Amino acid sequence: MPKGSIEATHVWKRFRADPVQARLRAQIGALGQRLKGERRRGWRWALQDVDFHVNPGESVGLVGINGSGKSTLLKILTQVMYPYAGRVDVRGRIGALIEVRAGIHPELTGRENIHLYGTLLGLARKDVASRFDEIVEFAQLSDAVDRQVKFYSSGMQMRLGFGVAAFLQPDVLLVDEVLAVGDTSFQQRCIDRMRDVLAEGTTLVFVSHDLAAVEGVCERAVWLHGGLTREDGPAREVLNSYRQALEQVAELELTDGPVRPVKASVSGVDGQVPRSQEPCEIELVLQSDMARSAGVCIGVSEGTPSPIFLLRRDVPMPAEGLVEVRCHIDRLPLPRGRYFLWAGVFRGTNNIMAWHPVAHFDVTGMDLDAGPPGLVRQSPVHVAASWEIAEV
Amino acid sequence: MSSTAPALSGPAPELIYKRRIRPIQMARELWHARPLISALTEREFRARYKQTKMGYAWAFFTPLIMMVVLAVFFGRAANVQAGGFPYAVFLYVGMLPWTFFQNSLNKGGVSIISNMSLVNKVYCPREVFPLSAIAGAVIDLGIAATILVGLFAGYRVMPEAESVWVPVLMLIQVAFTIGVTVLLSALVVYLRDLRQVLPMILQFAIFAVPVMVGLDDLVAKSWQPVASALNPMAPVIDGYRRTILFGEPPRLGLLAIASVSSLVYLIGGYLVFKKLETGFADVA
Repeated sequence: MPKGSIEATHVWKRFRADPVQARLRAQIGALGQRLKGERRRGWRWALQDVDFHVNPGESVGLVGINGSGKSTLLKILTQVMYPYAGRVDVRGRIGALIEVRAGIHPELTGRENIHLYGTLLGLARKDVASRFDEIVEFAQLSDAVDRQVKFYSSGMQMRLGFGVAAFLQPDVLLVDEVLAVGDTSFQQRCIDRMRDVLAEGTTLVFVSHDLAAVEGVCERAVWLHGGLTREDGPAREVLNSYRQALEQVAELELTDGPVRPVKASVSGVDGQVPRSQEPCEIELVLQSDMARSAGVCIGVSEGTPSPIFLLRRDVPMPAEGLVEVRCHIDRLPLPRGRYFLWAGVFRGTNNIMAWHPVAHFDVTGMDLDAGPPGLVRQSPVHVAASWEIAEV
Repeated sequence: MSSTAPALSGPAPELIYKRRIRPIQMARELWHARPLISALTEREFRARYKQTKMGYAWAFFTPLIMMVVLAVFFGRAANVQAGGFPYAVFLYVGMLPWTFFQNSLNKGGVSIISNMSLVNKVYCPREVFPLSAIAGAVIDLGIAATILVGLFAGYRVMPEAESVWVPVLMLIQVAFTIGVTVLLSALVVYLRDLRQVLPMILQFAIFAVPVMVGLDDLVAKSWQPVASALNPMAPVIDGYRRTILFGEPPRLGLLAIASVSSLVYLIGGYLVFKKLETGFADVA
């Protein structure tokens, strides 16, 4: 097997089921049960029969809701944890950033930590020294490199950790949800750096809840759910089905409050599927319990609560009954894809109906133009434009 | 979408992971981890004295104060057979190796749990943590040994020619120290109570080794072989004193027992450690 490849087959991992309460009484009770020969508390599976194969130089995103086994899988790949069953083979030097402060010792200075972490990755001192300046520059720590790390801000600690892991030329780079701490400009630089590392031939496994970042960096994605592989394939497809699964859950959780949605839909011309750059109509029927005037907000998003665009209108609510809200859009500025309709009703800053997804819909029509390589996120807004090109 | 998925029946029995211990591979891996051990030792040592006003001087004053206190109390209270030597010299020749053992165990015993942030995030051979704690204790030993040189010079005592035995004694002591430290560091992970008990035991254990008194004053002759098997430190400390101060060879019979016993501790402790290390990250 060449360096940089990951072969994990039939990986199982289990943890002890919820531990006995730390209270002395509970402990004594548990001890008594054990003495009577009753069965010990059981196990819960964290990973069940997961296959994970990555070729050298490939970039794979790992997505899934909290507790789906992403971090456990990464820990098994780094050999920090051992599987209960299965075979795991990772070739080459592994650079892992499992958590923000992985391998960082708070009492030592930034300089000492860089050297220590390099040694942990199995590098000679001189190899670390040769890349030292690059790391410091990337992490923007030139003023703070001789300061103890415990006096760093959490963003600085993260930059240090990421810089060390990403610049010491590992064959496999494992990155677990670390971007959340950095500011936006640093996030973009991390993603650029990951792409550079990929270009140098390093294998990348990237765990993140920032789906746009995953899509920007990874060609392939694996979706874990409840410790099982739910989907494995091209990043775009896997992420789309993951987003939809997330939304469909949320749609079911309809609120009960003074104002509730009864019906929500988006339709195009003559009730057909909406098309890019053509008229469309959003229909929302609300049930109200009390007469008042309130602001109705309607937003369209790709999945997350932050909408691509938002529409708002004050609507008088009936004392007891239904109100129908229709919103007409002349030219729908969305490219082809699946979208979600979010709605909320507010009075001042008060929530009368919480901001939540009420429906999903598909748009047919144009695709977006391809962006420059390395661009993390392209907003899905289709702008009608005409071009004129002439030599002058 | 709930977070629980339909449970599969479980892995096929032939897939279940078994810990195999391959001594050659283990040794090679450890050999490559030398820079890591020295880096961790350095880290530990630096971190310990950061933000202290006196800095590294503490490594010197701690054993000095301890020695003076013990010498004043025991030198007066107990009527010790010091073989005609000043009690402080007699005491310190025994105290120095004992303190090394005690420091190794105190720091090494908790080395895995206090490095949990590394243990469950970065891969490396796990024994580097207890081993670097022992290496740190070696540095402390080196600093504390200057006090011995001072005592020898002050009381005009010269080490005898039989001191050539010292490397042999050290070897036995180091083997025993590694075995016990490595074993304890793994046990502490699963049984955290040990962390509370360990320093206390080590405080009192000084009465189980011939530090304040000679071996013959501590254990009856007929029980000395048993004591040597259980606690190889006893004949080793006795050996240091006999060779360096009294100019006699060590008691070879007891020393033979101690070497076999140390080897058993070393291999046994290491094997238990290697078996237990597979679960370290799970209970972190």
